[in-house]
Amino acid sequence: MRRAFGRRTDRRWLAGVLVTALALGVAACGGDDSGGGTDVAQAGPNGVDDGSELTLWTRAPLEKQAKLLVDAYNAGHQNKVKLTVVPNDDYVAKVGAAAGSGGLPDLFAADIVYVPNWVNQGLFQDLSANINGLSFKDSINKGHLAAGTVDGKAHVLPFVLDLSMLFWNKKLFKEAGLDPEKAPTTLAEYAADAKAVQAMKKSGVYGTAAGLNCGGCLVFTWFPAIWASGGEVLSADGKESKLGDETAQKVYSTWQDLWKSGAVLPSSEGETGPTWTAAFTEGKVGLMLYPATLLSSTPFDVGVAGIPGPSGGASTFVGGDGIGVSKDSKKAAQAWNFLSWMMSEQAQVEVLAKDKDVVSRADLANNKYAAADPRLVTINEVAGKGDTPVALNFQQAFNAPNSPWLTLVRNQVLKAGGDLQKDNGEITAVLKQ
Amino acid sequence: MAVVSSPTPTIAGIALRMPYWVFTGAVALIFLAPLLWTAVASVSPHAGTNQVDGWGFGNYQTLARYQAGIWRYLANSAFVSLLTVALTLLISLFGGYAFARFRFPGKNVLFLLTLAILMVPYATLLIPLYVLLNRVGLANSLVGVAVVLTMFQLPFSTFLMRISFEAVPRELDEAATVDGCSSFGALWRVLLPAVKPGLITVGLFSFLAAWNDFFAPLILINDTEKMTLPLAVSNLRGQVQGVVDYGATEAGVVILSLPCIVLFLVLQRHYVRGFMSGALKG
Amino acid sequence: MSTNAWPRNRQALLGWLYATPTAVFVVALFVVPLLLVIKMSVSRWPLLSGDQGINAPDNFEKAIDHRFFIDSVVFTVKYTVLATVLLLVLGLGLALLVQESSRWNNLLRASFLIPSALGLASASLLFYVFYSPYASPLAPLMKSWGFTFLGSPTAALVSTTFLIVWRYAGFYMVLMLVGLQGIPADVFEAARSDGATRWQTFRKVTLPLLRPTLALTTVLCVTGSLLAFEQFYILTKGGPDNSTITVVQLIYMVAFQGQNDLGVAAAISVIVLVALVVVNALQLRAFRSERS
Repeated sequence: MRRAFGRRTDRRWLAGVLVTALALGVAACGGDDSGGGTDVAQAGPNGVDDGSELTLWTRAPLEKQAKLLVDAYNAGHQNKVKLTVVPNDDYVAKVGAAAGSGGLPDLFAADIVYVPNWVNQGLFQDLSANINGLSFKDSINKGHLAAGTVDGKAHVLPFVLDLSMLFWNKKLFKEAGLDPEKAPTTLAEYAADAKAVQAMKKSGVYGTAAGLNCGGCLVFTWFPAIWASGGEVLSADGKESKLGDETAQKVYSTWQDLWKSGAVLPSSEGETGPTWTAAFTEGKVGLMLYPATLLSSTPFDVGVAGIPGPSGGASTFVGGDGIGVSKDSKKAAQAWNFLSWMMSEQAQVEVLAKDKDVVSRADLANNKYAAADPRLVTINEVAGKGDTPVALNFQQAFNAPNSPWLTLVRNQVLKAGGDLQKDNGEITAVLKQ
Repeated sequence: MAVVSSPTPTIAGIALRMPYWVFTGAVALIFLAPLLWTAVASVSPHAGTNQVDGWGFGNYQTLARYQAGIWRYLANSAFVSLLTVALTLLISLFGGYAFARFRFPGKNVLFLLTLAILMVPYATLLIPLYVLLNRVGLANSLVGVAVVLTMFQLPFSTFLMRISFEAVPRELDEAATVDGCSSFGALWRVLLPAVKPGLITVGLFSFLAAWNDFFAPLILINDTEKMTLPLAVSNLRGQVQGVVDYGATEAGVVILSLPCIVLFLVLQRHYVRGFMSGALKG
Repeated sequence: MSTNAWPRNRQALLGWLYATPTAVFVVALFVVPLLLVIKMSVSRWPLLSGDQGINAPDNFEKAIDHRFFIDSVVFTVKYTVLATVLLLVLGLGLALLVQESSRWNNLLRASFLIPSALGLASASLLFYVFYSPYASPLAPLMKSWGFTFLGSPTAALVSTTFLIVWRYAGFYMVLMLVGLQGIPADVFEAARSDGATRWQTFRKVTLPLLRPTLALTTVLCVTGSLLAFEQFYILTKGGPDNSTITVVQLIYMVAFQGQNDLGVAAAISVIVLVALVVVNALQLRAFRSERS
């Protein structure tokens, strides 16, 4: 039906179409008008509350806390915040599409490990003047602030802190003959406790679980084990990986042993993230390294402790999201109003702490809600001993579904082999890009 | 049609054809099984969903209560799909007519370019499309989504309308123009009834594609109230930290598929004929 | 003949009039973005900060050197061959099965076609639940036999291909049916009176006469499979252990999942487009050259 495409008129027409399209295309992508609107630095300590509508984007895993904050803010202010929740896996795609065409919302949250990269690319407005105006600025979580600081200028504030902790199912501990009030203090004890629960051979119950196909879950839970024993995971400038060092090796071999002994939930092998905590929440796992934000949604009695390393200690990964004013926002002063309220005692204590979440200000760590639950006291304490790693190419090196970190871990734990230093070198290669 | 109608059944005839029926019936069941299972599973008890004990519609309630509510998403999906269908029908009707009945310079270029749309991955075009839509003020709008979806339907629908038109003998519209009809009159009064099966097929396929599309709304829509159904169902998967609500996902699949299956069955006769009209030219 | 009898200018004008809506959509929404993609492929274009200027041919080098480029090409080709063979054979087989008109056959035809009513995303979600060790009806089986549908590279490939065959077999069956109906009945009569067996009739008569249909279905199937993305995105996300990454998935990964580099993603897209044009041209030529 279609014959050869060689006639002269056809070619001329193709050329004509291309030229027209090219002209349209140049017009379409020429000129990028971002910024403008009120300058956030002039917003004053409390910003402006004049009934504006503000847009806020957040990732799905933090929906609960985000909604609580937004609802509380809207109830007490003239400004109204409109919340958009985006699936976790697609958040970067959405932000990227919006960033490229000046369509970012007024406020948006970002996984704290992505923040260095995003600040570097100019997605957030400079908040340093405003933050300096806060009376409690020295007690704001340092890890989060540092992640968003470039050239001494801070761009993000902590939105929702998510810490990794050691959770254990008290009932299963008791059944396995372990002391339900005592947490394992070293990684070896952790493994022993897991095997004890497994030895019960209770149907559907396992010693421990992990997200073995989820790079983000693994950094969240295993980095603290290295820090707790005084190890490092990255060089100071975030361009070199130290995940082939001794302390790290001990972590891998513990987990390799756990996997071989059958004490790990089998579906952990393929777990890419969406259900990595499900089995524990359903009461089927003895103990697990688990996000503190799930404390209020875990329906049974759990014990909570810091994450131990091979030689003891306790640490945590101070994760979660940071939030800032986007480069495209034309309501920066109003957006700051939300942010300054969010850091206030009223929001931190009466909204976040009340929901059993960690507060972002060290001076509020001993609030009345925390004191009521000793587990929250533990969490807040360990938060002070935790860390947030900073690296420009963090997402590509660790969180991406095909990251070299994931390859390294799976080689070490599941395949009991692989060249550790070579795999570690791959991570460094990506970090150096 | 090379048709051979089956002979009247006799006892011996039935016995002989039994293995045929069993075999083909089994194959048909394999095709239907996943859907049937999903429908059943969506109302059965599951741990970790809204429907923990006994049979019921708990999973559908999860869907109904999710963010803006399922009725909203149904309405959004319907709006986008119907708009896409309308645009696609219009453009491919005129386009097919032009390609089938007229000679004009650049005809081959345009036709090949239209078909070339099939050869470029969706994900590749979406970012530039986003930028473009933003410039003309159609960002974050359901109309913008419909416009993009229409474009992706053009290869198939233009191709189909073209062969539908070409299958109609020229004598028909020749008679009309001899009687003084304009080209539009010939199209409207004479050709339109003849290509109706093709139009129905194009309408059905563009509806199905638009109703089920996931990526365009994902990238192009920001407001939660403007989300379409596939996006909402997919969001539900990774929603609550840690637990995928399998029950709600199943319910979502059922609700997504039901209109499509119904439409499909109802229009089946026309759909097959729409393909056949291309074969008539022998 | 009707409109051809009109003067050429009038024809051209009217032709363009009716073709204008198509032209507008194609140029504005396809050609322009495509040119933008080509521009991206020769520029440094990070996802979040936009156009940073020309850097050809860096992006293409980075694309080919990418950790998973070769693997994804190999896997995509493997998958394409598997899916195309299965779909064409099954489509033809089903068509032969139901080509006679009877009530039972109408029922069969409808059953085979129903999966086609689902969107690919819905079908993938359906099988996501169906294959999951948690919620699948076959979960006890999976436990006792010690396997998971998506747990090993081969299993993931086969399971995903099953999904695709289930979803598209009906569609290809219809295309084959149309082709079969186009063969006049007397051709079969002639073959039968010449004493040909059913197999001989099939090989020497049916297949050659089905050539245009086979050409169409092959082109559609190969193109669709080479561009496979959604099913793998939903079912396997490229796993387990990066064994099921298709080329389009690579594009998505480079663009949005870490590297965030639209320039390299665009470069891969351009490579894919060129490959597709070449492959399709070759296929069409192969089918046409055998036409006697």
